[in-house]
Amino acid sequence: MQEHFDKTTPPNPEDSAFEFSGNWGAFGKIALTNILLTIVTLGIYRFWATTRERKYLWSETRFIDDRLEWTGTGLELLIGFVLVILLFIIPLFIIQFVQQALLLQGQEGAAAALTFVMLGLIFYLGGLARYRALRYRLARTYWHGIRGGSNDQGFGYGWSYMWKTAVGYMIFGLLIPWSMMSLWNERWGKMSFGQHQFSAIGDYSDTFKRYLLFYLAPFVFFAGGIMVGITAATIDSPAMAGISIILLVLFFYLGLGLIAMAFYAKFYRVAIDGLSLHKLDFGFSARTKDWFILLLGDAGIWLIAALAVALPAITIIGTSSLLGGFEMPQPGEDPGQLYLALLVPILVFAVIPFMLVGPFIRYRHWRFFITYMQCYGEIDLEELTQSETTTSKHGEGLLDAFDIGAI
Amino acid sequence: MTQPCSAWFYDGRSAVRRNVEIDVAGGQFHLVEAGQIHGPFAFSRLVYSGRQGNAHVYKHDEIDGWRIGLKGDIPAELAALLPAQNQYGSWIDRLGLGKATIAFGVVSAVAVAIILAAPQWLAPLVPASTEKKLGDALVGDFGGRFCNTEAGKAALTKLSSGLDEDISDLDIEVANIDMVNAVALPGGKIILFNGLLDNAKSADEVAGVLAHEMGHVRERHVMQSLIRQMGLSVLMGGLDGNIGGTLNGLLAMGYSRSAESEADQHAIQALQRADISPLATAGFFERLANMESMDRVEGTPTDGAEQPKTEKSGQTGSAASDAESFNEAETLLGYLSSHPLSKSRKAAFEKSHVKDRDYTPALTQGEWDALREMCANDTDVESGFGFDFGSGEGENGR
Repeated sequence: MQEHFDKTTPPNPEDSAFEFSGNWGAFGKIALTNILLTIVTLGIYRFWATTRERKYLWSETRFIDDRLEWTGTGLELLIGFVLVILLFIIPLFIIQFVQQALLLQGQEGAAAALTFVMLGLIFYLGGLARYRALRYRLARTYWHGIRGGSNDQGFGYGWSYMWKTAVGYMIFGLLIPWSMMSLWNERWGKMSFGQHQFSAIGDYSDTFKRYLLFYLAPFVFFAGGIMVGITAATIDSPAMAGISIILLVLFFYLGLGLIAMAFYAKFYRVAIDGLSLHKLDFGFSARTKDWFILLLGDAGIWLIAALAVALPAITIIGTSSLLGGFEMPQPGEDPGQLYLALLVPILVFAVIPFMLVGPFIRYRHWRFFITYMQCYGEIDLEELTQSETTTSKHGEGLLDAFDIGAI
Repeated sequence: MTQPCSAWFYDGRSAVRRNVEIDVAGGQFHLVEAGQIHGPFAFSRLVYSGRQGNAHVYKHDEIDGWRIGLKGDIPAELAALLPAQNQYGSWIDRLGLGKATIAFGVVSAVAVAIILAAPQWLAPLVPASTEKKLGDALVGDFGGRFCNTEAGKAALTKLSSGLDEDISDLDIEVANIDMVNAVALPGGKIILFNGLLDNAKSADEVAGVLAHEMGHVRERHVMQSLIRQMGLSVLMGGLDGNIGGTLNGLLAMGYSRSAESEADQHAIQALQRADISPLATAGFFERLANMESMDRVEGTPTDGAEQPKTEKSGQTGSAASDAESFNEAETLLGYLSSHPLSKSRKAAFEKSHVKDRDYTPALTQGEWDALREMCANDTDVESGFGFDFGSGEGENGR
């Protein structure tokens, strides 16, 4: 028991270069006021909300002897967002209009070509967004008054992202680990901190066994399914057959999810182990089991939010129908102004618990990430000097638009 | 005045952490390290950068990475010289959280009200010529799918002019597409799909649908919904995708519902003026509503494989695939207008029926036949969409 416990415990905080010292209470206060202000500003405050969240998470993160500092601003994120609306969303709106016009006028070929170009553009921008977000985050992260960044704008990375991802999916998707690792290395290889360039040399072949496990599992499950089917047919018991099928489906979804997680756990270990900065070597020690606990906790947070909405709602509807005051409107019947007036408070009430899910999941993921981050080697503070890279004045609007993670 | 207040200091050039004392002289200060003096720096250049544990951190607005950190309570004399600490953002910090919340709430409510109401004011401001150009750009000649025979056009003109005082600014066409629907597009364009004519039992039924679309044109709903859609997507852009999308959908739905009932009111009045019985339209709505509920009961409308894809024969056998194409048309032209087939709409038409009134048919039998057969008799008309649109032929597009 003791030994098992020791293994699950993260390395002793004093031994680790990274340590997270935040607490739920302080973070909760930030999250709640963020939600309040986000609601009354129709969402515009969320850029400042993100900034406040990050300022807290970064400032509670110790690396060796000092805390990290987040210096991004809400205004930057807002500008990034407005830029994306102007340069991307509005043109997309117009392209959709043109596409409809082409379809209506019988130019299916041209409409298809336009779709192809549009999807290509989105693909390219997806890669660019990932790169720019990482660059932005490093440029806004200070430690000892020194920041990171990159002088590469990432336009070339956008192309790499396109062709490497495309190659990854060729040969039945067998090269996906290669494309993932190669893109990770390319992205990080262009980043720097202070005057030092990061080096990323993760080897995809170290993750390949796990990937094969994930890749082959469906075939194994499928074969298993046939076996179960044959057995059930010979036993000739509908109940048994039903149970076997349910078990198989559960195993398929949960099992495949777990194996995918095992691959990602290995991927991050290998990728971060391959990362170094001058005389510092990074490492990441989270195992599949740790990821499982992390994601189980996320699911728990979702469940709590759902219960926080559902339980009062059921109680209210229950008591009102006892009083006979609440009738569900029939389809097609106009629910009338009364229900519309009720709709707003009901929506706000239902939305708040779910709005809290995001911040707490981000908190947990940051803590997880910092807890399992390792760093070895030495750093000479006398020698570490300020980054010379240029910084952009706008935040991660593109990434926001595509809703993807940065690291 | 000299007050010894200790701090840590990063000069922004190297990563070395220096322990210093702040030596204030007027609006400036020096940072005194053992054996070294940094500065002077002006207090006016400092910006509050937030908390680091129990320390307050200030940065210099011109020197990248320059930081001083003051642990614990800052002496009042020094605090008076330092810039204000911010927490939520400068506007909110100035007002205080409570007041700012109320102020933002009021501004937001006004903004929402303006954006929701604006399309009604803005749509009439769009010049008719601009809207016409937009409509032409969108539809063009509809890929040669508009049906045209002399007798059919004459019947259509007769039907239309009975329902509207001046149809010179309207552009009403029948398209050779097997879909039970009609749409109003920008620039006074109204398109009746041939499937609608095939499924209608009389010209009176078509008159009701046509009058409804004329209502959309006359009330400027098309332009309104285009403007509203753009306004809402910008407004809701600030929210997370999911929440914004849901709210957007709810608001848009509420508006399309009120637009539909306005168009219905317009249609009822037009039918009354033209002396056409509204019962036919009511009956048509009922048949369509039945098709839709059948579709729902039969399920899986997305997978066309199991649906009977018969060519139109006017029989109810292809009802489900009619409703399906109806839905697909809505997805394609989603921002224009949707036609919820509800019982209350049917009832409104029924209610406007005057008992014992001697209604006249909208068209003679000969004219009705000419209209119905227009697409069949037009030899050089294109048919259907290039992709599967419930027309029974063509490749699978979706």
